[in-house]
Amino acid sequence: MTGRRVAVTSPQTRLAHARRRYRGPWRPTTLDPAEMPRAIALYRAGRRRAVTALAALGTLILGLPLALRLLPGLDDVRVAGVPVSWAAIVLVPFPAMVVLAFWHLRRAERIEQQLYREPPDGTEESGTSGASGAAGGTRDAGDGGRG
Amino acid sequence: MIVAFAVAPVVLVTMLIGLRGVAAMRTTSDFLVASRRVSPLLNSAAVSGEYLSAASFLGVAGLVVKDGIGSLWYPVGFTAGYIAMLVLVAAPMRRSGALTVPDFAEARLGSAALRRLAAVVVLVIGALYLVPQFRTAGLVLSVVTETPYWVGVVLAGVVVSATLALGGMRAATYVQAFQFVFKLVLFIIPAVWLLIQVGPQVRSEAVQPAEFTHFRDDTTVTFRVGATLDVPHGTEILEDGSARPEGGAGHGVRELDPGAWEVPPGTTVTFAEGTRVPEVRGEAVPGADGWQRPLLDFHDAGFPLLGTWAVLIATMLGTMGLPHVIMRFHTSPDGRAARRTAAFTVALLSVFYLFPGIYGVLGRVLVPHLYLTGATDSAVVALPAQVDDGTTGTVFTGLLTAGAFAAFLATSLGLLLVVSGAISHDLVPGGLRQLRFAVLGAAAVVVLLALPAAGFDAGTLVTWGFTVAASTFCPLLVLGIWWRRLTAAGALAGVAAGLVSTVGSFLVSVAGPELHGWVAILVAQPAPWSVPVAFLTMVVVSRMGRPAPWATAAMLRLHLHEHRQSPFPARHQSDTAARDLGHSSWPARRSSAVRRMTRRLGR
Repeated sequence: MTGRRVAVTSPQTRLAHARRRYRGPWRPTTLDPAEMPRAIALYRAGRRRAVTALAALGTLILGLPLALRLLPGLDDVRVAGVPVSWAAIVLVPFPAMVVLAFWHLRRAERIEQQLYREPPDGTEESGTSGASGAAGGTRDAGDGGRG
Repeated sequence: MIVAFAVAPVVLVTMLIGLRGVAAMRTTSDFLVASRRVSPLLNSAAVSGEYLSAASFLGVAGLVVKDGIGSLWYPVGFTAGYIAMLVLVAAPMRRSGALTVPDFAEARLGSAALRRLAAVVVLVIGALYLVPQFRTAGLVLSVVTETPYWVGVVLAGVVVSATLALGGMRAATYVQAFQFVFKLVLFIIPAVWLLIQVGPQVRSEAVQPAEFTHFRDDTTVTFRVGATLDVPHGTEILEDGSARPEGGAGHGVRELDPGAWEVPPGTTVTFAEGTRVPEVRGEAVPGADGWQRPLLDFHDAGFPLLGTWAVLIATMLGTMGLPHVIMRFHTSPDGRAARRTAAFTVALLSVFYLFPGIYGVLGRVLVPHLYLTGATDSAVVALPAQVDDGTTGTVFTGLLTAGAFAAFLATSLGLLLVVSGAISHDLVPGGLRQLRFAVLGAAAVVVLLALPAAGFDAGTLVTWGFTVAASTFCPLLVLGIWWRRLTAAGALAGVAAGLVSTVGSFLVSVAGPELHGWVAILVAQPAPWSVPVAFLTMVVVSRMGRPAPWATAAMLRLHLHEHRQSPFPARHQSDTAARDLGHSSWPARRSSAVRRMTRRLGR
């Protein structure tokens, strides 16, 4: 009648707004049972590769100081005037770490591709994987736009 | 003048891009979508840009001058952290949809208490990481412009909080990426120029370490912080009225009384050419015996291997828990791109870290007197003036100052935002206005903490930040991603144990009794025992309880890659739309943490 507009909300919504916290209730994560075998296979393969990569990194990072400690003579050996032990801190670990990073990256991507092509037993696949995968990709991007 | 020319453009460009970012990005989703399409190479440049702080740009070279060649292990640890991240955390963390570690803790374990504890840890790490940034900024500005230390610190605080309040962080990834290139160029070109310019004499001295016993030239030293010097016989200073009044004078040169000398703060002394160098009590002299050893022997305790390993473990495992770094990984489109980002970051950082050693060994020859005042962190910006006192030297000083300031700005902005986000998002939930106040409040607190911290090493404090991250967030993330039996109680206990043991250990090393030998190393660098303690606590407490029924699903979901094929046969259109192929839960559930976070930050 008066033309005044009044917001009508449920008491619960008002309560939620009053708390100034727009958090939905936390929900536990779900996983489709049909995807479980693939997830387990990915997890196991990833874990195996992670262990080897970390072992290599540990050997490099903890082993090099040990080597320099056990071979103090390297301080006096000079290449182009620079002590070998000085160069060893800079010129050995960095290239080795770059190689290690890309080696692991390739392996990690390969297991995902492999499991993508040949699914582990227990799941029945139908349809071409390429088309379905592309559909999944676009839908994912679209969802991001809404969010 | 140099500062006006060098620092002003950096600040201006950052602020301009910040303003433009505000204008261009209207909604939070704009911001998010733009961020999510960032390619791995660009994103890794941004990660590196945010990661290379003042501690990397200036601190490593300063530590080399002060402690020896062994300090070059710090950058190795900083880089190795990204391999650990690539192997263990990058892809699953991105797939969890969590922006920050507190978010991840809630998403994986469903515990609000853990979320709050994680936010407290973020505050501790942020403080330990931000204080040295502000301190170094103040120090560099005071060295270059001759202003008092506190002016630099306050100026830094004002610039950072003003930029953030204007919305500078919304200026998306390419600002950080640009800053990385900027820093890389500003670091490499002066290094090459210095190497060429110093001449063969200095170059050969640089690789033949000799103890710093005599001043090469008349050297003016300004003590901004008080120091205790052991003056040997035959140390002469030039009289210019500001030094101590008593003592015999001849031709304006007088000899200092041998013995202990308490230098009051603010003293300026000019040491005469060729006279003996006083020693700072409790510090090793640059170039002394042991300086050239490629290991970190703290306080010459005789345990170089332990010291080196402690630093390496802390920096390597701490990297994956740094809150501002984890946030950056989220701008990748998917887990696979996040992993690539980590790998590229290793390569980019490896290029940058080839150079601090050059500044370090040259600084040992040319500016060793900085160790008298504890200001070795300014060695990088002090070098060009020693090599060329004309315009060229001034220009290079300006370039390096600009680079250092860019490094400081990038890291501080990211960290301050994460810290204020932790306050106003996780601890005391509130709106955007509160976030702004949190930014100002956090900046004020950090400035207050940085004022008395001038005597601390940037390297020590940053390493402590890494140690806290390694003993709290590293076990939480690694076990959360790779161990399905982790429970919320176990995670709480482990994080608390790591936090208490590391912070307690720092307090003992700062305020506790004098310790010696390997005990002193393990107290000052607690990573070798605090990380296992945190892991063990987490495992043991989790074993005593039972994981939630959905825990296995929550863990396995992190390892499924996004663009996988649906295990269900394609049905008709409406049904496939209802079932999101990339995610087995429906879209509304997806990345709930992300949307929650940005809703807070963006409006």
